[in-house]
Amino acid sequence: MNNIQKNRLKDQAFKVWGIGCTLIGLVLLTVFIGNILIDGIARIDWSFLTSLPSRKPEKAGIYTAVMGSLWILGLTTLIAVPIGVAAAVYLEEYNAKNKLAAILEINISNLAGVPSIIYGLLGLEVFVRISGFGPSVLAGSFTLSLLILPIVIVATREAIKAVPHNIREASYGLGASKWQTIWNQVLPSASGGILTGVILALSRAVGETAPLIVVGALAYVPFAPQSILDEFSILPIQIFNWISRPQHGFIENAAAAIIILLSITFIMNGVAVYYRNKWQNKWK
Amino acid sequence: MTNSKYHRDNLNQIGLEMLTLCKSQLEKSKLALLNNDSDLAEEVVFTENHINALDLKIEKDCERFLALYNPVAIDLRFIMSIRNINSDLERIADHAYGISKYVTDFNKKVPASLFQTTQFDLMWETIESMLDNVTVAYENKDVKIARKVFKKDKILDKINADSFTTIATEIKKDNALIPEALLLFSVIKKLERVGDLVKNIAEEIIFYVDAEVLKHKKKK
Amino acid sequence: MAKQMEITIQNTVKKVATDPIIDESLKKTSKIEVKDVKVWYGDFMAIKDIDMKIKPNSVTAFIGPSGCGKSTFLRLFNRMNDYVDSFRMEGKIKVSGNNIYKKKVQVEELRKEIGMVFQKPNPFPKSIFENVAYGLKIQGIKDKKILNERVEKALKQADLWEEVKDDLKKSALALSGGQQQRLCIARTLAVEPSIILMDEPTSALDPISTAKIEVLINSLKEKYTIIIVTHNMQQASRISDYTAFFYMGELIEFGKTSNLFTNPEKKQTENYITGRFG
Repeated sequence: MNNIQKNRLKDQAFKVWGIGCTLIGLVLLTVFIGNILIDGIARIDWSFLTSLPSRKPEKAGIYTAVMGSLWILGLTTLIAVPIGVAAAVYLEEYNAKNKLAAILEINISNLAGVPSIIYGLLGLEVFVRISGFGPSVLAGSFTLSLLILPIVIVATREAIKAVPHNIREASYGLGASKWQTIWNQVLPSASGGILTGVILALSRAVGETAPLIVVGALAYVPFAPQSILDEFSILPIQIFNWISRPQHGFIENAAAAIIILLSITFIMNGVAVYYRNKWQNKWK
Repeated sequence: MTNSKYHRDNLNQIGLEMLTLCKSQLEKSKLALLNNDSDLAEEVVFTENHINALDLKIEKDCERFLALYNPVAIDLRFIMSIRNINSDLERIADHAYGISKYVTDFNKKVPASLFQTTQFDLMWETIESMLDNVTVAYENKDVKIARKVFKKDKILDKINADSFTTIATEIKKDNALIPEALLLFSVIKKLERVGDLVKNIAEEIIFYVDAEVLKHKKKK
Repeated sequence: MAKQMEITIQNTVKKVATDPIIDESLKKTSKIEVKDVKVWYGDFMAIKDIDMKIKPNSVTAFIGPSGCGKSTFLRLFNRMNDYVDSFRMEGKIKVSGNNIYKKKVQVEELRKEIGMVFQKPNPFPKSIFENVAYGLKIQGIKDKKILNERVEKALKQADLWEEVKDDLKKSALALSGGQQQRLCIARTLAVEPSIILMDEPTSALDPISTAKIEVLINSLKEKYTIIIVTHNMQQASRISDYTAFFYMGELIEFGKTSNLFTNPEKKQTENYITGRFG
């Protein structure tokens, strides 16, 4: 009996420890968010969302920053998704056990761990200077695409792996070619997982600050981008800029902007989780 | 239709064919004896080959059915009973063959009076009626009709038992009739066996349909 | 003038729609011949020297203990083993006189002649209609009328039409196991092959669904040549005309099912079917 009691005790102890650890994270997060909300929620109103930045905190708004972020996000998606999905399809479906595939695999995992500012430096040299795009939305999007490419590739690979092999067999058995099988069966089935991966990658990209600063996203931008070669600003940079100002009004603005940024991130993650669940249930 | 159903129906049909053929052999041998018709008797002897071939075919088909379809319950009883019915029918045909051989080999006309005193006609009528019963019972899976043969068989037993004294009396009356009388005596024994065999067939049909085993039991 | 053309086009479409896609004479001579076939996976010899002739419009069963190579052998006929890296084969497999392992043979064309049904039902996660029409769409058939006709025909042949005709847009995954397998059979039939390979098609199904599919197989052999791998000997004896017994990559015995199960020629065969080993 003694042994059983000991084990039960260990069980309980671990439960308590686990709950404690979880709660610490949650509690800290709640405190932080609570703080921000207190500081900034009052400041959020229509004029805040649609005003251009200004030297006066009461007049400053996040319009250009939000538009810049949206432009960047949109273009990054257009660049990163096709390239990432194609690379993942190649690695998973056409995977030869050859040297090229092995090299690609290793490098992709490495890329995911590279500090984001390095991407910024790369982007500055290649896209801003050498390619001549200047500190534009295009250069910023290319830079961010490189950043999130590994995430898209890995997520797509996982989604493709999750498509059961017998679906492919059935397709081949009916006389479909490899490409027909991928296009008609594998990708549609994996689309949920791919979508989830893309959304998660983008929700990370929306908050990336360092690489875009290096690329030259300006802090004071009194206009929203009109074309992909225009200069731009993004929300995180705007927040960073306001925090470093002495006026108290700007602290409020920063808090409000943080709330907007967090909301965007939470919504994107929420959508990703929703679709992931829907997709997983498809196979049941 | 599944293979096994097709096979079963086939076997059923062949069983019926065998039954019909044996009935006809008996009928012909009766007429051959009554009229001392050796041509008719030859026919019966000749047809014995066909009976043997059918017998072998049914055996082989039963073996195949068991091997291929692993029958259970009513299907299993069907195969078991049809094998036994087939065997009984083959023996009935054998008796018909034997009777016909008497006609071809001895060529002795049995006088009508002898037929009368031994109630020979009644024996045949009873057997024919019993055979009709089992045919209907087999075709319609009708157990009630199958049971009718048990009482009728008793008639045959009685006639057979009486035949000892009847034939002995006839021989005493007229010594010249000894070969014919003995021949008739033999045939009556055969017919009594045929009656027993038909009774067996009825038992098999009841076993097949109702799973009731009547062998070695007292029947109503 | 335009009206004339329209009528001509309509008539042509009608003709094409009703022309059989497969030449009828091909069905009757879809003889399969296997000569000196050997198969390796890397260094392991999975199939050792097999000769076999399969009769058209019959059901041939492959039986044998697990790992004896019967599934590998089956997959030679539609070249599904090609996807395994270490696969290598020698010998000839001729279908209607043509060696299917010649370099110039297009595998996709081959699989339109030789269809396959797998062990676990594997419908696509799409609607019932899309599943059955898939094989036709990848051939480039777009005409809605033709697709509808072929799908209906295939579902009727697979004895599933009555159960699903009211809602072909329903997801295939909502069907029961037995229905899904019949859907997979319909999917294969829609392409109008002449030979159908079945790899343990009922081993994942309950007895009633199994019985339905066995009746289906019996009705299909009028038009198709069927080869079925089964680990259930009673199934082989129930539905097949010819049976091949495999053991450790070798073909031990091949003959009429009724002979093999009543009086097999080899002792090994008898030991296997009586359950004395394997």
